[in-house]
Amino acid sequence: MVKEFIKSLSNSDVEGELIKTIFISLIVSFITIVILYFLILRNIQNFIPKYGFFLFFTILTYAIILPSTKHVKAYKEFPCMTGMMIGMTIGMIAGFLPGFYIGATNGMFYGSVIGMSIGIIFGIWNGKCCGIMGMMEGIMAGFMGGLMGAMTAFMLLNDNLQYAGVIVFVISSVIICGLNYMIYKESHQLEKVSNNGSFFIVFLSFLMTVITILFIVFGPRGGLLQ
Amino acid sequence: MEKSTLYGVGIFVLIILGGLFFIKGGQTNGSVVANPIDGQVIQGQLQKIVLSQEGFNYKDAGAKAGKPISISADSSVRGCLRSVAFNINGQKYVKYLKTPEESLELPALSRGSYTFSCSMGMGYGKLIVE
Repeated sequence: MVKEFIKSLSNSDVEGELIKTIFISLIVSFITIVILYFLILRNIQNFIPKYGFFLFFTILTYAIILPSTKHVKAYKEFPCMTGMMIGMTIGMIAGFLPGFYIGATNGMFYGSVIGMSIGIIFGIWNGKCCGIMGMMEGIMAGFMGGLMGAMTAFMLLNDNLQYAGVIVFVISSVIICGLNYMIYKESHQLEKVSNNGSFFIVFLSFLMTVITILFIVFGPRGGLLQ
Repeated sequence: MEKSTLYGVGIFVLIILGGLFFIKGGQTNGSVVANPIDGQVIQGQLQKIVLSQEGFNYKDAGAKAGKPISISADSSVRGCLRSVAFNINGQKYVKYLKTPEESLELPALSRGSYTFSCSMGMGYGKLIVE
């Protein structure tokens, strides 16, 4: 089954769009940041040393969440258990990683608020593929992930924060790969909906990158980071 | 070459280029940078400050500007609050003050209020430099 899934990544079906979607999300985010860099960010002292690492990993985070969302949205409805797993996994990752990276630059409160917001929105959006149970699971996972991400970053401020940032990203990527495989495995009999456009990936990558950059660079800070 | 392979190569190249730009370009040598007033640090006038605990936070402490600072913590400071962390202009100064005799050295600071915390970010205090 795993071999079939890997093979399906190069076909023209829903799974075949996954790698293309990661590429689109990355390229849109990088173009956005390059434009903003030459317009305003290069005038900010120590922009790259202070924020570069965390911005880079936030962009990578969006590039792993959005393809999974597109994968989920390609199917009309999932069974309850699958939908709950989808809501929980995406809600948790979408809450934890942005919470972690923004918590590292803006402090625990603001990291938690942004992490919870992104986590809960993505948790609901993806979890609703099976109804209220998936939505609730998404809300709970986004709420928990956002708080945990920012808290972990803040508690690691003086202890190898950047290495921890890489480790949590790698683990989250493996979880997301597992989720994509699970969707592939569970969705053979499910009805597909037409979902070939990449507009929402381009739009969301752009929007989330801009909001993240503005918040990390110009946003409020708490605690030690003031 | 298949389309998915091309996209895969594209993703790899983007991550490498992005990593070089954002991470490699931002590495610093980690040297300690002092923050003296008017570029002058008064040698030999180390001021000693003893921190104490008030509730779940540190009691605010005061210091004079332009003189290096040695911070210790008395026996009222307990738990993670014994690990004191300062973030001064992006430079971190952290030390676990296991006993009241151990101290954390700070460079001469300019006037202002410097927030510090325990290394877990749970307890806070202010160092007011006048």
